[in-house]
Amino acid sequence: MERSRDDFVIAIRSAFLKKGNKQRFSLLSLILFSIIFLILGNFNFKIINYNKAIIKEIIYFSSSIVTIPENIIKNSFNNTVNHFEYYAKYQETKKELQELKNKDLLKKIITFENIELKKLIDDYFVEDSQLYAKVLLDKESPFLRSIVINKGSKNDVKAGMIVYDDIYLVGKVVEVNYLTSRVLLVSDINSKVPVTVHPLNIEAIMTGYDMQKGKLQYVMGDKLINNNNKELIVVTSGSGGVFKSGIPIGKINTLNISDNSEIIVNFYKDFSQLKYIKILSHTKKIKKLDDLNETISKKNDDQFLEKKNPLKNIIINKKQNINNVLEQQNKIAEEVRKKLIKSYDELNRKFLNVQKKLEEQKNEIKKVQIENEDLEFLKLNLLYGHKCRKTFLKTNLYKISSSEYRVCVLNKGRTKKN
Amino acid sequence: MASTNNKIKYFLYRHTPIILLFTSILNETDFNNLGTKYFSFNFAYILIFYYNLKRENGFGYIYIFIAGLFNDVIIGTPMGLSSLCYLLLCTAAAYLRNITLRPSLIKDWIFFLLTILVLNFVTFTYLIVFFNHEINYFDQMINITFTFLLYVIFAYLFNAYDKITLGKFN
Repeated sequence: MERSRDDFVIAIRSAFLKKGNKQRFSLLSLILFSIIFLILGNFNFKIINYNKAIIKEIIYFSSSIVTIPENIIKNSFNNTVNHFEYYAKYQETKKELQELKNKDLLKKIITFENIELKKLIDDYFVEDSQLYAKVLLDKESPFLRSIVINKGSKNDVKAGMIVYDDIYLVGKVVEVNYLTSRVLLVSDINSKVPVTVHPLNIEAIMTGYDMQKGKLQYVMGDKLINNNNKELIVVTSGSGGVFKSGIPIGKINTLNISDNSEIIVNFYKDFSQLKYIKILSHTKKIKKLDDLNETISKKNDDQFLEKKNPLKNIIINKKQNINNVLEQQNKIAEEVRKKLIKSYDELNRKFLNVQKKLEEQKNEIKKVQIENEDLEFLKLNLLYGHKCRKTFLKTNLYKISSSEYRVCVLNKGRTKKN
Repeated sequence: MASTNNKIKYFLYRHTPIILLFTSILNETDFNNLGTKYFSFNFAYILIFYYNLKRENGFGYIYIFIAGLFNDVIIGTPMGLSSLCYLLLCTAAAYLRNITLRPSLIKDWIFFLLTILVLNFVTFTYLIVFFNHEINYFDQMINITFTFLLYVIFAYLFNAYDKITLGKFN
């Protein structure tokens, strides 16, 4: 026991105090040194703090140097990974760009077509003047929702001009001063904008409801509910001629609409955050000078020909008139014929449907009749079956499944027949 | 030429543990905090214990002391705490070396476990009593477990490395 204790002490002493060939400090001295470090670290002496700071600076500096190779490897790896990610993204972006280009082309074609169609119905407007203005706050406004802008009659602003934020409708100019103007926002309760609800193509009047919302008037909720669209787009209809048609205003969430509830339009733009706005006025497109010249010259030529050969021209004119009348008559006759064919087809289809229904009903009646007969037979069978059933003693009667048996039962026995 | 090669090999044999120790402490990648919740280990403990056990001179207590100071500064523990732990680990390794007649990896391994448990106890006690540090015991348990488990693997690796570098000297 004592010996093992001696061994332990020797081993410990050796471990603590033995210095190797190249050791300058024993373990014990270094452990004591560490403990002193720990104890001193708890005191807030200036010298200790100063020394601590120096040691820390040296260590941080060493750490930053040692970390350089690791950082180089890390960065290289990250760069490589990023490169591959960028490449993948580049490919995606390229694809998207191509798709967008295609869409853009399609959009351009549609826009062009739209312009042409609008020209046909004389509803094509061109931007007459365009101005950009800064929004100034207005707290003492007589209107609920209006803003004051820093452009006035000096900058050719006129009452009735339309105000945009980007491409979205903001309102219209209602008051013009020399340097400032007041814009009535579409969110104002006094603002009445004729709108069209797309894609249902329903006309309505939109009035202000909230800073971020408008309300549709003169349209029933059920018209908007019964469709598959979750969102409906509200744009200006152009009725009344104040706003040009097709200016986007907001959208309607059809899930929030019920039969009796108000139809709320959520504006695309936040009117409380307006900073810069665009003021535009639109005029109907004036025909180009060349076109005008052409028409004028054509008219002059016709007049000249008329003066030269009056009789011939009269005959030609008459012929032309007759032709025109005939053409119109043909057109009308063709339309009438088409309508008649259409209505005939429809009536024919209706007739066939009715006939089909009639046959179905007849079949049902037959079925019911058969069922009633069967029921009657079963009832009578219970009461008079014994009078008709063939047995060992009554051999002159009928078998149960035979038609004679059925007739017998329905006649309430054989005697009735006789 | 041959002597130069031998010199290089001897240099590597002698100084690789020190370089490894300082690199592991000073690098940004800390095995004690790898970012994964269920895996961390104390590489310095394994390195110090193994080389102090296998080599009579270890790799210089003063270096270990300095490495401890570096570690404290970098991870933000009170200065001297890691040094104390490393030196206690050296003491345990030296004691085991002195009492061992027939070296056995299993015995070393078990002794290593006891030593790191004691060292962690010392560290936690000091941090809690004097500095009111909050310690996540679950993380520490994971750290101790993996340090213990990985000791065998690293022991084999260090042994293999020593054989490669030392070669003829051995």
